[in-house]
Amino acid sequence: MRLWPWLKRRSRENSELDEEIRFHLLQEAQLRIDRGEPPDAARRSALRDFGNVTLAAELTRQMWGWSALERAAQDLRFAARMMRRSPAFTAVALAALALGIGATTAMFSVVNAVLLRPLPFPDAGRLVMVWERPPEGGLTNVVQTQNFFDWRKRNRSFENIAALFRLPANLESEGDPVQVPGLRVTAGFFEILGTPPLLGRTIRPEDDVTGGPGVVVLSHGLWQRRFGSRQETIGRKMIVDGSAREVIGVMPPGFAFPAIPRVDLYLPMQIHPSEALLDGRNYSTVARLRRNTSLADAAADMRAVAAQTARERPDMNAKWSATVVPLLEQTVGDTRTTLLVLLGAVAFVLLIACANVSNLLLMRANARRREIAVRAALGAGRWRLFHQLAMESLLLALAGGFAGFLLAWWGVPAVRTLLPATFPRAGEIEVDRGVLAFTLLVSVACGLFFGIFPALQVDRGRLGEGLRAGGRYGSAAHRSLRNLLVVTEVSLAVLLVVGAGLMLRSFVLLHEVDPGFRPERLLTLRMMLFPQASSFAQLLERRAALVAGMLERIRALPQVESAASIHMLPLTGLQSGTWYYRADRPAPPPGDMSGGDVSVVSDDYFRTMGIPLLAGREFDLRDRRGSPHVALLNQAAARANFPGENPIGKRVKVTWSMGPEEVEIVGLAADIRHNALDATPEPCLFLPHAQQPSGFVSLVVRTRAQSLSAVSAVKEQIRAAAPHQGAQEIETMEDVVSASIARPRLDVAILGVFGLLALALAALGIYAVVSYSVEQRTREMGIRLALGAAPRSIRRMVLREGLLLALAGIGAGLAAALGLTRYLASLLYAIRPTDALVYAAVSAVLAAAIAGCFVPARRATRVDPAVVLREE
Amino acid sequence: MAQPEPYQNRIELLQGTLDMLILRTLQWGPCHGHGIGLAIRASSADVLQVEHGSLYPALHRLRREGWIASEWKITQNKQRARYYRLTAKGRKRLAAEESRWDRMVAAIARVMRPA
Repeated sequence: MRLWPWLKRRSRENSELDEEIRFHLLQEAQLRIDRGEPPDAARRSALRDFGNVTLAAELTRQMWGWSALERAAQDLRFAARMMRRSPAFTAVALAALALGIGATTAMFSVVNAVLLRPLPFPDAGRLVMVWERPPEGGLTNVVQTQNFFDWRKRNRSFENIAALFRLPANLESEGDPVQVPGLRVTAGFFEILGTPPLLGRTIRPEDDVTGGPGVVVLSHGLWQRRFGSRQETIGRKMIVDGSAREVIGVMPPGFAFPAIPRVDLYLPMQIHPSEALLDGRNYSTVARLRRNTSLADAAADMRAVAAQTARERPDMNAKWSATVVPLLEQTVGDTRTTLLVLLGAVAFVLLIACANVSNLLLMRANARRREIAVRAALGAGRWRLFHQLAMESLLLALAGGFAGFLLAWWGVPAVRTLLPATFPRAGEIEVDRGVLAFTLLVSVACGLFFGIFPALQVDRGRLGEGLRAGGRYGSAAHRSLRNLLVVTEVSLAVLLVVGAGLMLRSFVLLHEVDPGFRPERLLTLRMMLFPQASSFAQLLERRAALVAGMLERIRALPQVESAASIHMLPLTGLQSGTWYYRADRPAPPPGDMSGGDVSVVSDDYFRTMGIPLLAGREFDLRDRRGSPHVALLNQAAARANFPGENPIGKRVKVTWSMGPEEVEIVGLAADIRHNALDATPEPCLFLPHAQQPSGFVSLVVRTRAQSLSAVSAVKEQIRAAAPHQGAQEIETMEDVVSASIARPRLDVAILGVFGLLALALAALGIYAVVSYSVEQRTREMGIRLALGAAPRSIRRMVLREGLLLALAGIGAGLAAALGLTRYLASLLYAIRPTDALVYAAVSAVLAAAIAGCFVPARRATRVDPAVVLREE
Repeated sequence: MAQPEPYQNRIELLQGTLDMLILRTLQWGPCHGHGIGLAIRASSADVLQVEHGSLYPALHRLRREGWIASEWKITQNKQRARYYRLTAKGRKRLAAEESRWDRMVAAIARVMRPA
């Protein structure tokens, strides 16, 4: 149906009906005049005989069959007029709704992008990661090379499986070497994900063989930065890790392996088959399930395959198994819990906002009883009144939803920039059509929720009362409903404030954790060494020489106090480990191997980091290649391996860069928080970089002044010592520490905002209810004052009413908090969900409640008895 | 709200019978709403009194069903009025209603005055 002709016909019909009824009344009046009645009386009795003209016209219009839409439009117009007529009410209700719906929408757009939407690959539900499962401690472990080969050959569950390994890549151009994040992948990686390249081709099986061609696939970002997005990039050579590689492909924008985002280039793995058996566990994997193969089937299949490899090579695999994790789950990780907690929190905020608006509407419905009674008397049916009130609620909800959507639209991109770099799928977070549909749904649901109470008050039986009482006194039922809503609001606010308080306290504790080293004035640079060497021994020698050369030059700088290196920097989430055992004991059987974390550090590392040395010495220039091999232990490792003994001078057998060898413990260092501030220190064995050099190197430089001011001087010395060596992620240790707790900081910020919002809304709710009740009881107050009541007692009476509501809400909120905050436990550090802090939180709510009651209480005492009594 | 005055010598119309009465009245020729009301009252010797307000919803409903049609005409007093007339479909409907009515009256009569 076209709208315009419909409207024209509609308006003609309306005027014709009016004319028809007018004609009828005229005829009837004429009839009566002809019978001899006086004209005035005739007209009146004609009108009376006709009955309720509006109702009759309304009923007639209903017969036309298309009036439901028109009625809706009419009620909508009326609702808009009502909104304009009470701007204060409208503004408060809209603000509450916009904040509630806006926060919910923003939160949902994150949940939608991170948890609900499939990963951006074709048929992404079939993508999984396959891990080894260690005998104890943890569910997933990176995969040993030969095991990967066996899995690839023997599994019956996957269309294909690929190994991947994250490795920084050194790029040179115009004499300014840099390092960028790279990913080595076996052939099949791109096919498994299913994303075709933007340009050229991806890595094929013939590229992924030892001695195969030097090829590289670029990310879209690197292509833009390095090659200015030129089409003729394909076939060009670039120097990667010191050798020329041909660019064979460019991936489209947004392409990333979701569990390892921010990769700039992809290189073929080119595993040497002869090394596969000797390798340690290094690789992550990605696989695509065959159609009609379930996750459980694949897991069972992989357990069987792993059992076979364990039988074949017990020294490597005894008691190890395998496990299959969906790629989405792997990507999202523990962010799921956080997001669900935050979504729950924001739902409470929305609920509070709705209760608030419902309360406001109820109060206004009371004030409008007279209007509604008049409308009923003039012929509005009960359904019609209900309809009209529902329309008003709906309009309010949709307007609030629109404002909320705008808030989210502006807010979400801002929130995205605040997310820590490790936040999964951060780049995919957006306000899309799904989110818009969600907002619409939530708005309508809110409208129904807060509109239903006032609309249900339309009761024909009581409408007459409204006329008589002149709409002055609220009914008792109304009042208890309003009180119930306020108590609900307060209890939800208590719940949120307690939750936010717990998180805040947990975060403060986390922030104050002593990492075990002194992060101030400490500059860190991370790099991958890539010396060209003809043999493994030569490679190790050159790695050792490179670091020694760089450190020597950096230490000579006047602004540098000391400098050292560690292969994997603390609090970056990276660590390696290996097997070792006491040399004075027999080797444990395969599968019961003891071991732990390993850090490869240079001389002067502990002094530079400020880690106390508890016994013995740290590595120094005596510990060179060729000199007796040595090691240090941390306290946890000493406790685990030499309980009650002095470890200095003892020997352990360790498997590291070359087969098992004996090293002598020369020192004992204090524990530090290497893995995370909230993780207890793991046993760690320290090996000297000069004897066991690693390709991974992080330089730590203790400067005399502010550490970033030394960056260019340090880089210059690195250039001088190793002209082709780039570095990446140059930052202060304080930033590294801070970044390691970026997530809890974000959680606390978001939950804090929600808590404040909830508190403000609940205070507004109490304020509205109390001030309304004061207004309703103006006459009573006036009489009390006239009879000599002290203003103080009046104020106390009003305050008591508000406080009783607040107390009831706080009681209910505390009970709910005790029940619900245990879901926070996994997000909390070192405190239990029943922390004493809840009391502080509750007093904050109480203070807000009192503040909410104070203004109306003062107003109550200012009532002028004379004015009030005259009004009657 | 004021209670409606109690009906005295009038009989409230049975549900649905108003339609039939309107159709019946229009059998004599086109008429406007007011006229229809008068006619029903007159031909029932003032026993059946249609509340005027309820006449128009009924008229518009019948028109929507297609049993009657309407057009604007000028009355003898030179006033514009909407006249309703019976359609062919309406005639059929009236016949059906009449036979239904006859059956009902006979049935009620048998109940009330058993032979």
